[in-house]
Amino acid sequence: MKTITFTIVRFDPESDRAPHAEEYSVDVHEGARVLHALHAVHARDPSLAYRWCCGSGQCGSCAVRVDGDPALACITEARNGMVIAPLDLPVVKDLEVDLAPYLGRLPAIVPGGCAGFPKKKEIEAIKPLRECIECMSCVSVCPALKVTDFAGPTAMRQELRLALDPRDAGDRVAEAVEKGLFCCTSCQKCWKVCPKEIRIPGKAIEKLREIANRQGLTLPRHAEVADLVRTTGRSVARTKETLLEQVPEVIEPYGKVRATVGFFVGCMYNGRLPETALDMLEVMRRNGIRVVIPHEQVCCGSPLIRTGQTTFLDHLKRRNIEAFRTRKIDTVMTMCAGCGSTLKHDYTTPFRVMDATEVLTAYGIEEPAKLHLTATYHDPCHLLRGQDVRDQPRELLKLVVDTFVETPNQCCGSGGGVRAGMPEEAAALGEMRGEAFEKSGADIVISCCPFCEFHISEHTKLPVKDLMTLLREGYEEKDRRKTSEP
Amino acid sequence: MRTREVIDCHTLVIGSGGAGVRAAIEADRYGETVLLSKSITGKGGCTTMAEGGFNAVLREGDTCSVHAEDTMRGGAYLNDPALVQALVADAPARLADLVSWGAVFDASADGEVAQRSFGGQSFPRTCYAGDRTGHEIMATLMERLRGSGVERIEETAAIDLLKDGERVCGALALNKKGEIFAIRADAVVLAAGGGARAYDVSTNSGTGTGDGFALGYRAGADLIDMEMVQFHPTGAVYPYDARGRLVTEAVRGEGGRLINTAGERFMAHYDAKRMELSTRDVVARAIATEVLEGRGTANGGVWLDVTHLPAETIEERLPVMLAQFLRFGVDIRKEPMEVAPTAHHIMGGLRITPEGQTSLPGLFACGETVGGVHGANRLGGNALADTQVFGKRAGEAAGRAPKRPAKIDPAQVEAQERRIAAFFEGTESPDSVKGCLQQAMWSGAGIRRDAAGLKRTLATVEELSAAPLRAATPRNLVECCGVQNLCTISTLICRSALLRPESRGAHWRTDVVQTWDARTSPFGHTHISRAGASIEEVRG
Repeated sequence: MKTITFTIVRFDPESDRAPHAEEYSVDVHEGARVLHALHAVHARDPSLAYRWCCGSGQCGSCAVRVDGDPALACITEARNGMVIAPLDLPVVKDLEVDLAPYLGRLPAIVPGGCAGFPKKKEIEAIKPLRECIECMSCVSVCPALKVTDFAGPTAMRQELRLALDPRDAGDRVAEAVEKGLFCCTSCQKCWKVCPKEIRIPGKAIEKLREIANRQGLTLPRHAEVADLVRTTGRSVARTKETLLEQVPEVIEPYGKVRATVGFFVGCMYNGRLPETALDMLEVMRRNGIRVVIPHEQVCCGSPLIRTGQTTFLDHLKRRNIEAFRTRKIDTVMTMCAGCGSTLKHDYTTPFRVMDATEVLTAYGIEEPAKLHLTATYHDPCHLLRGQDVRDQPRELLKLVVDTFVETPNQCCGSGGGVRAGMPEEAAALGEMRGEAFEKSGADIVISCCPFCEFHISEHTKLPVKDLMTLLREGYEEKDRRKTSEP
Repeated sequence: MRTREVIDCHTLVIGSGGAGVRAAIEADRYGETVLLSKSITGKGGCTTMAEGGFNAVLREGDTCSVHAEDTMRGGAYLNDPALVQALVADAPARLADLVSWGAVFDASADGEVAQRSFGGQSFPRTCYAGDRTGHEIMATLMERLRGSGVERIEETAAIDLLKDGERVCGALALNKKGEIFAIRADAVVLAAGGGARAYDVSTNSGTGTGDGFALGYRAGADLIDMEMVQFHPTGAVYPYDARGRLVTEAVRGEGGRLINTAGERFMAHYDAKRMELSTRDVVARAIATEVLEGRGTANGGVWLDVTHLPAETIEERLPVMLAQFLRFGVDIRKEPMEVAPTAHHIMGGLRITPEGQTSLPGLFACGETVGGVHGANRLGGNALADTQVFGKRAGEAAGRAPKRPAKIDPAQVEAQERRIAAFFEGTESPDSVKGCLQQAMWSGAGIRRDAAGLKRTLATVEELSAAPLRAATPRNLVECCGVQNLCTISTLICRSALLRPESRGAHWRTDVVQTWDARTSPFGHTHISRAGASIEEVRG
């Protein structure tokens, strides 16, 4: 036995005005799960309300938040100092939340399709979508659900499960569109908290959007983007001198060459924010990183994959891979979170892919001057969850500002084609982000994604900058301070 | 706390596991149906945790009579032959129902539902969806239920069956707020699952508190073979809080080997022919004996090893097991699992006809709540089949029951209101009474039994049954009822076990020397009801 001390967020809507945290110390056995710690508290204080049933991760009754993120109480190890809170859904009492409205939105099969047992291939396609235990963890974290009438991630999983089943006679794709198929920002939070790790954005929502595309249900704004990529190789129209028009193919560092990387520019940095990309290239020059920029590269295809328009994807992939392969580049650097995630997950590449922040922290950087700023950081979904890059940008940011403050993470609302296709939802999520940043006490918001930067700046009074721009400013400040020294 | 509201329906189904949901789907075809569930519908019970499979005769070379013979032999010939006939005859059609409703069972190379070997069976007839077969079945049933007209009342417990004279005419229900209300019905289906939570080491979900047995018993129904508690041979032993958690028979079905600390495949000493795929009673006793005789691990288990199987087989066929053990730091592709027997299934229960009719008019039952289907030992894969076969039968029989006006007896309602109100005046923590009960049952009415130990345990259980349980808040009332139910069924188990002076199937009496085997046993079912208890003696 061992003693652990932990906190439970308790709330009785019938008698309490607000949730409150209570600390408990209980004796549990070695290897005890959160559920057993709750049992131990309950033995002493039977008023604690929590659900559980099977105790082995199969019924989905006991999902709670453990240190902020959803987890099944019955399979998550109890830790000293942990904080247990209900899922972010309407609380019935303490750790019990109201699941009924979300369970009620899961569509039922409509028998009447072809009779008989599906083919092995069909079974194999449906199986991964069947592991859902309806714990509603995904629903509790979905940003789209907070601002729209989206039926939720697992309802989309269920729609695809039915769409793939020859025994079902329902019109699932049209139904999915009706229930908010295009509301998903592909923030990836749902599957990161899924106890069964069902990759709903990639394996369900994007697949449904592909079928929607074949049925002519793609949103017109998304179709316009696809046309642009088809005709120009880029997902944004040329409005000014692009990055590729401004830079040579190889950019040599100022000092000794410590490493050589290829640079995958991406449409946003190429066409909309070339200045930010130039800031990054300056930071690389300063740190001995030689950058090779093949000029024939095109759009990575992310805006097409996220919206289900994948018919000419292979062409883009081949062209991009060849651009770097023929130059014998073993590391390709991305700067856009969406491009990076796409190259890492949707491509099979003969080279490794690293985000610029990964490159800089891997090789170490010259210290910039500390700017007199209190900065907060916005995690781009496709960097944090898409590429598991969390610490590197923070490490770099802390080098260049006096004070760093955290803001609880949430999607800004611009991804997954939502900014183009569902502008009201994107704006509502952008507003939520803006408010959160303003509450953080920061006087500047830093990010590492052109979409996030662009979108957030429309919804906050605070200045929004890319980390690379700030690093460059840090170096310039350092140089200024040096020259002004007596 | 006054009972005012009365809900009226044609069929009331109590319990939302595989049997209850199947019964509700069926009953819904005949009239207004209410499904009462202690948990969120579909999340309670044990079906969703069932891993291994569903036995049904599907292929050439297999026949229903062989399935019946396997089931009878496995059940030590204590099964009710008419129920076994119904089980094996209907299982293929009930599997077909699930398939037509969208179940995603694993497919064989020839595009049919795949089947694998399970213990005690002479043909690989266990259909499966990886090792989450029960979950697949529940998901399918819930999809079907959502598309039906069944009214669901959730997180509300049945606390007493209502009776109009001898006839059951509904139930009293208690919700989380502590409100009691009546549900009047033309027919009631009791599908409240099992009660292996009476034991300290158990595979059952938290809802497995024997509510069906206790409700039926209190209403006056006849229960048979309540001493027959299946100890699944392979439950987890570490960590402590995961003790008893099911390690599916599919592990042995796929070729897993049981090994003692001397490195021996010890099943050779107990059943050299069937080895690890012997029946559960035999394998559980073998493991218990190995541990007792000093060839067990420090944690009191033996090794279950699949490391000789290709990693891909383990990943595809046993993904839940792989993930569960990985969570505790054991990679079953590279190292053996540590296992020991765990209370799993109560073979006894309400006596029924093949139509699911109990000994009380108006009351039908199905699933683990009934007795007679599995005799003295259940074959792996027969329980999921049982839920569907008898769920459908009981739901249909209840649905066909005539409409009948019924009076709710105010005296019965008041008695229940007093019973519930008394919990607020109680002094004993239900959690601690339950803990004591589970320890007592595990040590005195577990795998190895003798008369002295059973009597001692019965005395302890009776003492615990008399404890004035305390409900700290209205939400705790349902817990108090659950603990009382556990006490009731523990009494039934001990009393029935004392009635059977033989070792048979799962019932292992170490104090009895017998000259007969299962086939020649002079004993039939034990019966227990409020009217008394007895054992059938068969005259040669």
